[in-house]
Amino acid sequence: MLSRIIDPEELESLDQGLLAFLKDAHVRCALLVGRNGMLVTKQGFTEGLDTTAISALAASAYMSTQELARLVGENEFDVLYHQGKNEHLHVSAVDTNTLLVAAFDDRTSEGMVRLCAEQYAKKLAQVLTEAEARHKDVLRSLAGLKEAEKTELFEQPGSEGQA
Amino acid sequence: MASIDLAAKEITCKLVYYGCGMCGKTTNLQYVHGSIPAHAKGAMVSLATEQDRTLFFDFLPVQAAKVGEFVTKFQLYTVPGQPYYNATRKLVLQGLDGLVFVADSQWEKMKENVESFKNLQENLADYGLNLDTVPYVLQYNKRDLPNIAPVEFLEFLLNSRPVKVPAFEAIAITGVGVFPTLNVVSKLVLASLSRGDGR
Repeated sequence: MLSRIIDPEELESLDQGLLAFLKDAHVRCALLVGRNGMLVTKQGFTEGLDTTAISALAASAYMSTQELARLVGENEFDVLYHQGKNEHLHVSAVDTNTLLVAAFDDRTSEGMVRLCAEQYAKKLAQVLTEAEARHKDVLRSLAGLKEAEKTELFEQPGSEGQA
Repeated sequence: MASIDLAAKEITCKLVYYGCGMCGKTTNLQYVHGSIPAHAKGAMVSLATEQDRTLFFDFLPVQAAKVGEFVTKFQLYTVPGQPYYNATRKLVLQGLDGLVFVADSQWEKMKENVESFKNLQENLADYGLNLDTVPYVLQYNKRDLPNIAPVEFLEFLLNSRPVKVPAFEAIAITGVGVFPTLNVVSKLVLASLSRGDGR
């Protein structure tokens, strides 16, 4: 897959899907995360959560679990579930590039979250598939990024040289 | 695989710092983390052993300058350098957009540098990628130490492929070369995206 491109309408659809999942599964928050660790979008109560770091860690943990599956002769372990004292974490696949991460407490159960995740993964995957098809050509519109060649992207605190 | 949010006008790219054990990958990220203003960076996450050796990866999200109408963000990762962590090293490469290969300039590290560079190419191949298509730069680190190989030798070892890539001398612990490396690899990644050949 080339770069993931999401336009405002698609983002709205994904957010609506996540919101519906939140309500049905009674989870605290839900994140849509690329398997490369990048957060696509999030819904729910995320205040105080470092969702960027959670995305990177959850994707890595999930990918690590897939490698474990392969080592024991399984194609994949569908779901990753972390049980805490009060808060729990569910990670499952939406499609081959995307994961659904949900944080929840004892007001719901892993079974309910898993059931709803399976159901909504299909809807979310549909939006993502359509977005991918729709934006095949959009990279052309990123020609403006050529300006990056003239831009100092990061301000450097010292003076250093090229080899 | 860069993520492009047309609603928020944001582009997020994944950069991976690769290299043999103790070559200075984490030090690069630590220097970047210490130098970038708070509003332009997230928390740095390090999954390390008790001896502070990277076990899985380090992670640092940073925001760069605006390019055109897009806010550009980069997620910096390091891999564990030690040979026996290859499985986790490979996982970190998943969905990358650009690479920094950090080489340790000390003579006694040349074999490890070459092995790590070869290992990088093998792991990229497992994702159907190669160094001809992934934007990358080289960083020759630890230039302040005695017993270091000349840059020409490092160039011969690591930069003698048909297309030479930008290479930077660095002393990551004091920050020398850290930002030039980051700036150039970031530009290469965005240039790659603008050509429409992003992963």
